[in-house]
Amino acid sequence: MDVIIEAEKLTKIYPGGVLAVDHIDLSVKEGEIFGFLGPNGAGKSTTIMMLVTLLHPTEGKARIAGWDIVQHRGRVRSVLGYVSQDIAVDEYLTGWENLLLQGKLYHLSPQEIKTRGKEVLEMVDLWERKDELVQNYSGGMRKRLDIACGLIHRPRILFLDEPTLGLDIQTRSKIWEYIRQLRSEHKMTIFLTTHYMDEADKLCDRIAIIDHGKIMAIGTPLELKRSVGGDLVSIKFQENGNGQREEIFTALKEFPLVESVKEKDSQLLIVTKDGNTAIPQILSRLHDMGAEVQSISMKRPSLDDVFLFYTGRQLRDEEASPQDFYRMRMALRRAKR
Amino acid sequence: MKRLTNILSDIWYVCWREMKHFWGQKVRILMNIIQPVIWLGLMGNMFSNITAIPGFPAKSYLQFMTPGVIAMTSIFGAAFGGMSIVFDRRFGYLNKLLASPISRVSIPMGKMLSSALQAGIQSIIIVLIALALGVKFGTGFTGVLVMVLVAMLLTLAISGISLSLSAVLKTQESLMAVVNFLTMPLIFTSNAMFPTNMMPKWLASIASYNPVSFAVEPMRNLILGSWNWGALGVDIVALIGFGVLMTIIATLLFRRSVA
Repeated sequence: MDVIIEAEKLTKIYPGGVLAVDHIDLSVKEGEIFGFLGPNGAGKSTTIMMLVTLLHPTEGKARIAGWDIVQHRGRVRSVLGYVSQDIAVDEYLTGWENLLLQGKLYHLSPQEIKTRGKEVLEMVDLWERKDELVQNYSGGMRKRLDIACGLIHRPRILFLDEPTLGLDIQTRSKIWEYIRQLRSEHKMTIFLTTHYMDEADKLCDRIAIIDHGKIMAIGTPLELKRSVGGDLVSIKFQENGNGQREEIFTALKEFPLVESVKEKDSQLLIVTKDGNTAIPQILSRLHDMGAEVQSISMKRPSLDDVFLFYTGRQLRDEEASPQDFYRMRMALRRAKR
Repeated sequence: MKRLTNILSDIWYVCWREMKHFWGQKVRILMNIIQPVIWLGLMGNMFSNITAIPGFPAKSYLQFMTPGVIAMTSIFGAAFGGMSIVFDRRFGYLNKLLASPISRVSIPMGKMLSSALQAGIQSIIIVLIALALGVKFGTGFTGVLVMVLVAMLLTLAISGISLSLSAVLKTQESLMAVVNFLTMPLIFTSNAMFPTNMMPKWLASIASYNPVSFAVEPMRNLILGSWNWGALGVDIVALIGFGVLMTIIATLLFRRSVA
């Protein structure tokens, strides 16, 4: 797969000396769902704003689909779609008029607008209500329309800034569904920011954890979790299997994947680098030894643990800056209508 | 060539959106009708005796006031041209526009064009109301067309001032304050309400440089029935020059503000 987003030492210092993004290096491959995870004010939005050409980087370089974000801004703009966290749809226009306008801004032909407009509106389930004023849309509908607008020119890369901020659970899972669909059907690359752990975990192929404008860690959710500690496998035996406890202990400790074995509340607790691979091996060994397993379960370290490990604090403790707080409140207010 | 047609299309669609907003606001259109009725009906009645003062250039104050009301309505409309950019900035729509491949200049230009079109519509409404109140248009239909065009040119220029301000003042409060501070003096130091020959000397000399006067004077000549081509030409060229200048300033300031 080709690299489609590339950043080298990308840096933004705001007038007044605030270092918002601090020498970020990253590369995103075509067709990836890449997540930027971090607290408010970590530099997520600033990074996106630079990549979509809305802000000039203070230092460093970035290329989108091979085009430099400063020298070839026009080219960059036409290959990307940008859906900001502001839910920027025009409420005095109908849903269809919003899309039409967006199509015109990307210089599509009337025919293209007609066919693609229908396609994207059907995808976000708004086709039936396309002729209603956006004023009458709910918050979730507005967000879906906003996403549809970002798709009408069939961008190769879609930038989503906090795509599910303040939305209800159904709408959130709908939006995750669209994002997965875009990747599987159109091979679209998706770059999103979020401060929701579950969103980063379930949706993204790879995650970068960003804090104070720096990337603290980058990798698949699984890699990140493994990097902070192993999977915890717990095994419960049938009552009659108690006699072999010592044997089992020594046998399990010999497994290369197993890091430690403990007994707690008549269960065996095994810490392993890779639970998925270790469990079948352990089970077949236990079976050979004639031990009868009643149940087995595995727990992975959560992304919360990962975040805590790399930034030294929990994501939810973070206090937003006044500006972020204001933006969030505005976005929430619009989302909730 | 493709580039030029793209820019024209961008300008038009930025303008199209503003026009949609205009039609969507029924109260605003209603006020556009009520306001001139009040200005013409009430003020015209109140000051009707002013025509008896020696030196007053018209026989009917209503006829004299109609161009003034057109100019005033145009200025009030134009003054808020910059407000739409402030709102777009605030609600994130400006970023959406800027992230698309449209030319940067099309944003202020489209908004100025829509202000001018709205002023054209408003002027036609005022003309119709004036006709209903018995005002005679001395140069007939063609004269009215030129009057509407002049009102649109004035609006283009004034909305350029408003947009320039909106590039510098980024909050609606400060923009409102400065715009309000500018519009009233702009109107009262022009010939919109009173003839310059009845003003004190200092005011008359300000009025002769006030861009608003360059719009009111030809409109007034037309409504009173004279096709004074020389004066008309000078005024229109001055208005176009002012409009072009403000377009350039507004686009430059806008580009700088979003760079």
